[in-house]
Amino acid sequence: MTALRMTEPLLRAENLTMRFGGITAVKQVAFAVAPGEIVGLIGPNGAGKTTCFNMLTGFYAPTEGRVFFKGTDITSHRPHAIARLGLIRSFQKTNVMKRLTVFENVLTGHYMEGRQSLLATFFPGEKVRRAEREARESAAAIVETMGLSRRMNAPAHLLSCGELRLLEVAVALAAKPTLLMLDEPAAGLNSHEAMLFGETLKTLIGKAVQSLLIVEHNMELVMGVCDRIVVLNFGQMLAEGEPREILDNPKVAEAYLGKAAA
Amino acid sequence: MTLERNILLALGVLAALLPFAVTDQYVLHLAVMAIFYAILANSLNLVVGYVGEFSLGHTAFLGTGAYTAALLSVNAGWPMWAAVPAAGVVAALFGLAIGAITLRLQGPYFVIVTLSFAEVLRIVANNWIGLTNGPMGLAGVGQGGIADKTVFLAIVLGLAAVTFYLSYRFVYSNAGRAAVAVRENRYVAQSIGVNPFGTAMQAFVLGAFLAGLAGGFYAFYISFVGPEVFRFSFMATIIIMVLMGGKGTLLGPVVGAVIVTLLEEYLRELQELRLSLFGLIVMAIVLFLPNGLMGFVARRREQRGDAPSLSPAIEERTV
Repeated sequence: MTALRMTEPLLRAENLTMRFGGITAVKQVAFAVAPGEIVGLIGPNGAGKTTCFNMLTGFYAPTEGRVFFKGTDITSHRPHAIARLGLIRSFQKTNVMKRLTVFENVLTGHYMEGRQSLLATFFPGEKVRRAEREARESAAAIVETMGLSRRMNAPAHLLSCGELRLLEVAVALAAKPTLLMLDEPAAGLNSHEAMLFGETLKTLIGKAVQSLLIVEHNMELVMGVCDRIVVLNFGQMLAEGEPREILDNPKVAEAYLGKAAA
Repeated sequence: MTLERNILLALGVLAALLPFAVTDQYVLHLAVMAIFYAILANSLNLVVGYVGEFSLGHTAFLGTGAYTAALLSVNAGWPMWAAVPAAGVVAALFGLAIGAITLRLQGPYFVIVTLSFAEVLRIVANNWIGLTNGPMGLAGVGQGGIADKTVFLAIVLGLAAVTFYLSYRFVYSNAGRAAVAVRENRYVAQSIGVNPFGTAMQAFVLGAFLAGLAGGFYAFYISFVGPEVFRFSFMATIIIMVLMGGKGTLLGPVVGAVIVTLLEEYLRELQELRLSLFGLIVMAIVLFLPNGLMGFVARRREQRGDAPSLSPAIEERTV
């Protein structure tokens, strides 16, 4: 491996801009996520965090700018194609398959590992059966990692808000991401739950995923978990740095709390 | 999953034993029609129940299959064993073409455009006299061939076996789970790497193929094919079967097909009132049993606590 490759970040956003008609939701945002890193993307409501997520994962085509994942240009690729490269995301509004059970949700998440030809679907051989078995074992293990074993066979629509958040991460993990992007994973959790959730996230690095990119409002969680934080305000980059630097940054305090508090 | 398979197998055995118990040609005819409808309803259910898009144009494939088999038989003298699979293949090709256009649409747009395709095909069948003989239809399909209802019963059972084997494999595979993911939540599906269009296409083409087989069989059984195979009333019957039995389950459409076939026969005396009664039944189902009879049974079992999962598509494994 060349030295250049070694320093290549996992995900790199260059000059990302998104305009909806006359409104510029995101303007020239640029940041990178290195392997092994947990990066937080924060900012007040309407700062453009979710829009960024959508551009990175192909749900929006950016007006300007490029996205690179593992060194490949993935700008405006279709969402499922990006997912197949190992960039998996969750959604802000809890998105799970409500009528399926917890186990079924996570099992379905294993789709990419079990992809097979139509012929193999109709006449499954030993290989398909083994893949199916492995997917089931892996699903059970992931459910356990996320602490949902007790709810294994409960339909998702019966879960509590906190459990749904965990399930969402579990489904994303089932897709075996290299980089996992979570959009407000702790929304609706109380501070104790959020702390436990943060601990769970930290254990994933290096094992289940290489890196994490998190959009989150819960500052305790963000500060406790992230190695680096990117702050957006009105669609533009306001600051970037380690948690300590961000906390001490007067511009960030101003964006969140207004001028008087700064 | 296993329970569903075993019940389907048991039903198949029961149907196979029927000729030994009954010699009444009328009863055998009803059995043949019920199984024919079960194949048809199942093929529609793959789209409606698993991909979650409501196709109103499924008769396009039934009709294409029926006409293919009829033309091959009448014009080229093909025997049934060759013409029926050919009907399935031609219908599948139509499925590929129609799916390539319609599956880019969702919700009401999909409904309308699929319906239009069936209507266009009906108009073509009605007017392309040179090929289809127009409203007169094609008569004498498979003439001088099989006359015994028992043989037809055996054939339709064989087709049903193929149908349910393929559907079972599909529904309980990774591809079937992907289809359910698209049905349940398109965004989640995409985020775990499922291509919604490609997945829907697989189910759609499989459904078209099976409907084409059913159509081919129908042509030989009735020995006549006219433009009415594309008619909406046919479509309505299939939809009622799927909804009544329970979409998104393999057993549901079979149950629906048997009930509706018998109802249609026994309500025949009521003439025009029959359709109004059907309308009322559909309304009652949508209001009181939105998941059909199978959904109702599953919920009852769940409430009693002995069924692990209501979800139709994925089994519970007892490790």
